[in-house]
Amino acid sequence: MTKTSDLTTDEQIMEAVKNGELQQAAVLFERFHKRIFNFLARMTMDRDLAEDLTQNVFLRMIKYRNSYREGNRFQSWIYQVARNVFSDHYQANKNKKSDFIAVEKMSDHMIDHEEGTQQDEREKILHRSLALLSEEQRELLILTRFQQMKYEEVAELMETTVANIKVKVHRAIAKLREHYFELEKI
Amino acid sequence: MNKEILEGMLIDYIDGKLNAADRARIEGELAQNAEAYSAYEQLREVMNAMDKSEKFEPGSRLKASFDHLLQEEIIKNKPAKTVFFRPLLLRMAAGIVLVMAGVAIGNWINTNNKHETEIAELRKQIEETKQGMLMMIDNQQSASQRIQGVNVAMRIEKADDEVVRALAKTMNDDPNTNVRLAALEALSNFHLEPLVRKILIQSLSQQKDPIVQIALIQLMVRMKEKEAVKDLENIINDAETMKAVRDEAYSGLLKLS
Repeated sequence: MTKTSDLTTDEQIMEAVKNGELQQAAVLFERFHKRIFNFLARMTMDRDLAEDLTQNVFLRMIKYRNSYREGNRFQSWIYQVARNVFSDHYQANKNKKSDFIAVEKMSDHMIDHEEGTQQDEREKILHRSLALLSEEQRELLILTRFQQMKYEEVAELMETTVANIKVKVHRAIAKLREHYFELEKI
Repeated sequence: MNKEILEGMLIDYIDGKLNAADRARIEGELAQNAEAYSAYEQLREVMNAMDKSEKFEPGSRLKASFDHLLQEEIIKNKPAKTVFFRPLLLRMAAGIVLVMAGVAIGNWINTNNKHETEIAELRKQIEETKQGMLMMIDNQQSASQRIQGVNVAMRIEKADDEVVRALAKTMNDDPNTNVRLAALEALSNFHLEPLVRKILIQSLSQQKDPIVQIALIQLMVRMKEKEAVKDLENIINDAETMKAVRDEAYSGLLKLS
């Protein structure tokens, strides 16, 4: 990444990509690939799949660069692409959806520590509780708590009001708490 | 108070997002209503678990295949204009010469600077990690960032004064309970340092958050810190302090005296 790129906004770089400076796409990849990967890893609960889908997101960023509208927040646009890639994947694999949340298998996919420390145990319970939420609730928690996106940004992404997002996030946390302490008892 | 409203307010309370009036209302509810207090503890734990959850690192394959893919797109989008060496063989030969020259120069530079560079690089990395950690602890926007920063501090073996003071400030002033608690946990790792002991004892009389108070009292007992006795007595005699905290202080006092 060059020094000038560091000082340039995501939106300016995306404009440059749109105008044919494709090499600049590497800067956006550097800035966003970990976040997008984490988002998809938590959504799919499968790291390998998340890597493939992340690759797909950035491929679409380049291929469909002309669909980026000037003045729009780049972050919202790239997350929208990621959400589309995620839902397209499961549309295409509809018949496989039943093993989508194989809760037992999933925690092994996500955690690669060998020893089960107390922290790992909690992390497993957290992942399992997340898997029990509806897709919408899980997505809201991933965006607002794990990715620290502001309610305003999530509202923009989901085309709804901040108040609506806030209520839904609160409900999702309350639901997560129920599952978490149910599972902890086991 | 309706369950959903109460839970919503508790979540905002834990996040440090309530105004003074609502905060007082929730604290009143927590002091009187055992069910609300248990909901508070559970929400706090589950939110803490989310904040503390480690980020996943993608494998190096991802970057490599993106670079590859980007180069393909660039080539596809660029009509070939100038080719200096027309015959394929000449182009390949020129390529090989360039690579060899690159490797030779690289080797020469490497052997000359290797050791000095490595040491300087290590020093730089340590300093960068520390500064990065302090910046995270100071991030006013994100409690989760602050907690991650504190977690980094927890892994270091010896903290300098700058780190200790940053952790102390977080433990005493952070708006978020989980962050304060994590800072306390990090500081407890260095409790043999006189400065850290002093800070911890001072905090005992300043803390108003019951969860942090209880954790502090338990730490004093583990540290066998006799100097805390007076502060414990003050807590026991303070009618405004939550009963659970006063009980813990009483039990701590019995063990210390």
